[in-house]
Amino acid sequence: MIQLLLNALSLTAAYSLLAMGFVLVLNATGAVNLAHGSFVIVGGLIAAALGSWLNLPGAALLPVVMAGMVLIGGGLALIAYYPLRDRPAVSVFISTISMGAILETASRLLFGPSPRVAPPIISSGSFQVGGVTVGIQAVSMIVLAVLLVGAQYVILSRTTLGKRLRAVAEDREIATTLGINVNTMILVTFGIAAALAGSAGLMFANTFYITPGDGEAYMIKTYVAATMGGWGSLRGAVAGALIVSIFEVLVPSLPVVIPVMAGAQSLFSPTASTIWLYLAFLIVLFFRPQGLFGEAVQQRA
Amino acid sequence: MKAIGAAAFAISAIYSWSACAQEVNLTVPIIVPITGLLALEGTSQLNGANLAVAHAPAGLKIKSQVIDSGTAAEGGANALERVATAKDVDFVVAPLFGTQVLAMLPTALDYKMPILAPTGTGPVTEQGNPYMFRLYPNDAISKVAHIRYVVDDLKLKKAAILYNTTGYGQSGFKFMSEYITKLGGEVVFSEGIDLSTKEISATLAKVQAAKPDVILVQMHSASIAMVVKQIAASGIKTPVVGNTTIAMPATASLLQPSDLKGVCAESASWVEKGKSPASDKFLEDYIAKFGAPPDAYAIQQYDGLMMALTAVKSGARSAEDVRKYMSSNSYEGVAMTYKSDGKGNLAHSVVIVCYDGTSLTPKLVKRYDDIAAF
Repeated sequence: MIQLLLNALSLTAAYSLLAMGFVLVLNATGAVNLAHGSFVIVGGLIAAALGSWLNLPGAALLPVVMAGMVLIGGGLALIAYYPLRDRPAVSVFISTISMGAILETASRLLFGPSPRVAPPIISSGSFQVGGVTVGIQAVSMIVLAVLLVGAQYVILSRTTLGKRLRAVAEDREIATTLGINVNTMILVTFGIAAALAGSAGLMFANTFYITPGDGEAYMIKTYVAATMGGWGSLRGAVAGALIVSIFEVLVPSLPVVIPVMAGAQSLFSPTASTIWLYLAFLIVLFFRPQGLFGEAVQQRA
Repeated sequence: MKAIGAAAFAISAIYSWSACAQEVNLTVPIIVPITGLLALEGTSQLNGANLAVAHAPAGLKIKSQVIDSGTAAEGGANALERVATAKDVDFVVAPLFGTQVLAMLPTALDYKMPILAPTGTGPVTEQGNPYMFRLYPNDAISKVAHIRYVVDDLKLKKAAILYNTTGYGQSGFKFMSEYITKLGGEVVFSEGIDLSTKEISATLAKVQAAKPDVILVQMHSASIAMVVKQIAASGIKTPVVGNTTIAMPATASLLQPSDLKGVCAESASWVEKGKSPASDKFLEDYIAKFGAPPDAYAIQQYDGLMMALTAVKSGARSAEDVRKYMSSNSYEGVAMTYKSDGKGNLAHSVVIVCYDGTSLTPKLVKRYDDIAAF
């Protein structure tokens, strides 16, 4: 049980980074970035390539991966968002679909279609705690995610840049009248979102491997997490990530944890648990469409 | 002088004409999954096919046409529709993905086009289609070796079976659970896992709770690599005996040698240096060209395509000729002797290989020839 909880938490950690990046862009632009799943892939593949070339642990590669992803995220904003910034949000939505396909295809051309593995954050070993095997990678994922979320919190709440980013997310028009360069802030937001997603990609590329075609699955999980947690809420993004992880790790293990359910194995297979997740998603949409933590909406005069 | 020149010109013209007349033009469509979740296996299959084209018998002028079948069930069928009526196509290399091959069978029958595929999925040669040629041992056969090794050699009888929910995975599961029961064992736990599933710690918790003495796996490359990795990370010491994909060098390269300690695999074929000049040449050329040893998919595809090319070299000039040749002749490949059993199953040998935990290359442990299903 402890091992399962640890795995669920480490998965929550990685999904939180994904979901928070997604929400940052959503708040800043009012549009959904459907290329966000591709950021995971690109970050993971960069980590895999650097890992095999430099033979360094993931923690050492992280700054390079994040820096690269900031540039890629900013580049995507310039191509997919900037020309359409005065058009309805659906235009950005559609252009990010195209960008996601371009990133996936480019990844496949550069890195090949086969799965790649990145180095672990610190080590791939494990240690025993009271008879329970604890994976170092799982613990590292949690610690790294906490550090990154903490860093993001400090930037957003304690720095001038962060205040400007929050002002743009709150209301772009008011931010413009205050003299904030909204377009630059949106570029920075895309960069931060890509860096967070790329960090998640670095984690996944060791735990689960990474292939160019994985972006769609990560995008769906991000979207579900952000919606269930609270559309536009950073706290909600973490909560949503936890919900997705619970359905991936803890729900399928209920027959082990609750012996009376042992006879219903087929209702708690990984495939069935995915069905339960999407049913829960629908229930949230029906009864609490704003998600668990409500919705941060742009205030308009 | 002029007469000598004219005679020399006439002789060379006649020689060139006769050489061209003997040369057979052939287009070989190679429909394989080179993107998507089966890219690892598909790339191996493609490598084997490309090497066969390079080693083709003299007198064949081959143009190969590679088509990506992806992962969708209809990927192969759509590709076959496009190529089946093309000029100089007498047979088609079909994907290793049984689900796609099943969808291709009606088209192969409609166009009377032989298709050659290294797929183990059981139902592929159970549809009565005379144009299907399976290059890989049928699961009904390979799982005999798989289970015999577990029960007779390892003396293990309480099995947990993990499999992909694809046709291949389900086929393997069906035969493994049937055979272990026939040999006095039992399946204490089983779970189907989707090809795209990555997090399986819940499944492993259920495996541990069931207390098996062996974990049997029938999965595609990326899935089985993840399972083996997560089994090792969980500290589970139960022996693992998987299907051929865990014996693939490309799969093993995703893991550490320590992850593979105690892992064995049933594999369709294994080629070691010194077996024969043909197999040595195949090994040397394959490693030189692709930078890694061949796996079962590459080996079987190479042998299967070479058999078809030998058919053409032997005088087959139409799809029907190729079909007749493949149905009635035997072929000595680099891995084994191939001969149809009347249903299109050409391969009847299986090996068991095991990793010792210090290397990413397994060692040959046992060989089973001319296996019959239970």
